[in-house]
Amino acid sequence: MKKIYLVCATGIATSTMVRLRVEGFLREQGVEAAVQQMRVTELHADRIDADLIIATTSIPADVRGRAQVVDGIPLITGQGANETLRRILEILQPAS
Amino acid sequence: MSAILEAIGNFLNTLGPLIVLPIVITILGLILGMRIDRAFRSGLVTAIAFVGIFLTIGLLGEKLSTIGQAFAERTGTGLDIIDIGWPAAAALAFGTPVGNLIIPIGIALNIILLVIGLTQTLDIDIWNFWHMAFVGAIVQYVTGSFALALLAAAVSLVIALFLADWSAPLIQKHFQMPGISIPHLQSAGYMLLAVPFAWLINRIPFLRNLKLDPDTVRKRLGLLGEPIVLGLIIGILLALLAGQGWQDILGTGINIAAVMLLIPRMVAILMEGLTPVADAAREFMTKRFAGRTFHIGLDSAVLIGNPTVLAAGLLMVPIEILLALALSPLGNRTLPFIDLADGPFVAAMLAPLVAGDVLLTVILGAIVMGIGLIFTTLLAPAVTAMISTSGAAVDIPAGYAAYTVMSDAAIPTSYGLYYLFQTPVVVAAIVSLLILVGLYFLKRRFTLGEKAFTESADVAEKASTKSASD
Repeated sequence: MKKIYLVCATGIATSTMVRLRVEGFLREQGVEAAVQQMRVTELHADRIDADLIIATTSIPADVRGRAQVVDGIPLITGQGANETLRRILEILQPAS
Repeated sequence: MSAILEAIGNFLNTLGPLIVLPIVITILGLILGMRIDRAFRSGLVTAIAFVGIFLTIGLLGEKLSTIGQAFAERTGTGLDIIDIGWPAAAALAFGTPVGNLIIPIGIALNIILLVIGLTQTLDIDIWNFWHMAFVGAIVQYVTGSFALALLAAAVSLVIALFLADWSAPLIQKHFQMPGISIPHLQSAGYMLLAVPFAWLINRIPFLRNLKLDPDTVRKRLGLLGEPIVLGLIIGILLALLAGQGWQDILGTGINIAAVMLLIPRMVAILMEGLTPVADAAREFMTKRFAGRTFHIGLDSAVLIGNPTVLAAGLLMVPIEILLALALSPLGNRTLPFIDLADGPFVAAMLAPLVAGDVLLTVILGAIVMGIGLIFTTLLAPAVTAMISTSGAAVDIPAGYAAYTVMSDAAIPTSYGLYYLFQTPVVVAAIVSLLILVGLYFLKRRFTLGEKAFTESADVAEKASTKSASD
């Protein structure tokens, strides 16, 4: 199963908003994934165990190389949300 | 009018947040066009979150305040007011009569201001209406009037929206996040105070040259960025200095680490309840304002991943402790505690004022928090009253222990409104009006763009990181 980190500044507020969006979307699409909320300060480049990071805050450069990173802000503001969801789906289910 | 409001306030107080909030949230959801099952679920989840929060706030309990007291006596520092931290304060503020109504009132007021063109910000961050509820709660404590408390909360919301509009050009450019603004007092509230100081320190040449590398700071102090570790360390140190036995020392460390993890988990449940309502509010507005552009108001948490903000936030941990000690002869009694983990929120909107320079951001942070610690001390009786009248399981030993909230009580607008609303109503009304008109013209005439702060500062480009999408 694919693993997703939802990262925000506190691991509480915006990452919960994004989690509800993403979980709802994945359920609709029938995609299973393990979702974990994190604080950005808990991310360490050598301890990343995720296929995808959806972040509502900027991510340190050394973490970027370890997993695909998607900007989660559109999922909160609603502007560009569909493109973001499509990108998430592409990463979780690469067309093979 | 005010008699009716007082009656409503008393009625809400009798029912308590566990009954009032789910009803208010459900009705609000229906007005905003949610399906009844979804709206009801949101209301129910919100109430469940409150059950959890009130249970976990008990962790802060009596033991902590007695240790705080022993600490103050043994060390002779006089720091006997304990900081309970924003997650607990947020829940307590929502649990007050003003807090019960703040979400529908806040959304309505925001919509009215948008319609008449006084703001460009649509605040979908309804969770952070707790800051306004907090202002209402402390005003209600000191005046005993529900009507004045509502008014104070409304004034603080308007201030937050104005600050968001005003700072939007700078924030959008610096953090490369188009279309957003930050009506979040936990960060924006410090800005107004910091602007003159920022102007000043930007003109001190040698400070700029002492560049601190944000990545080095993050790597060195990284552990302080993990709240549970920070909680463990601070808890152990505090109990040690308070002269406890070793079992109590370790126990306190674990206890505080638990506070750092468990209360925020409960708050996440609250977010789960509120998010569908925020989504509905956003859709409601975008449908009715098609074609008009506005800023989407978000939590300043979205700015926190920025390297400067993170690094400055970490450096704020030791600085806040040193400030508290240094300022105790000047009247500070606040012992920084749970909100030590909150440094990045203080730094978030100060960093753009100094073009993202870590050292200058920390200097600004130290200035606003230094002043802020005096406010937190002055507001302690009001915060303590808010806790003791809530449904939370916190025992406050009679007579001496007091609590405060470093993040929120330190915001100049909190103390300002608390002070203002103790004056005769007419004075409070006139001064509030003058402040709002002043802020409106400030926003019009003095755009907070880059030019004001980043002239000749090449660091701006380097420090502002790219948004997560590229």
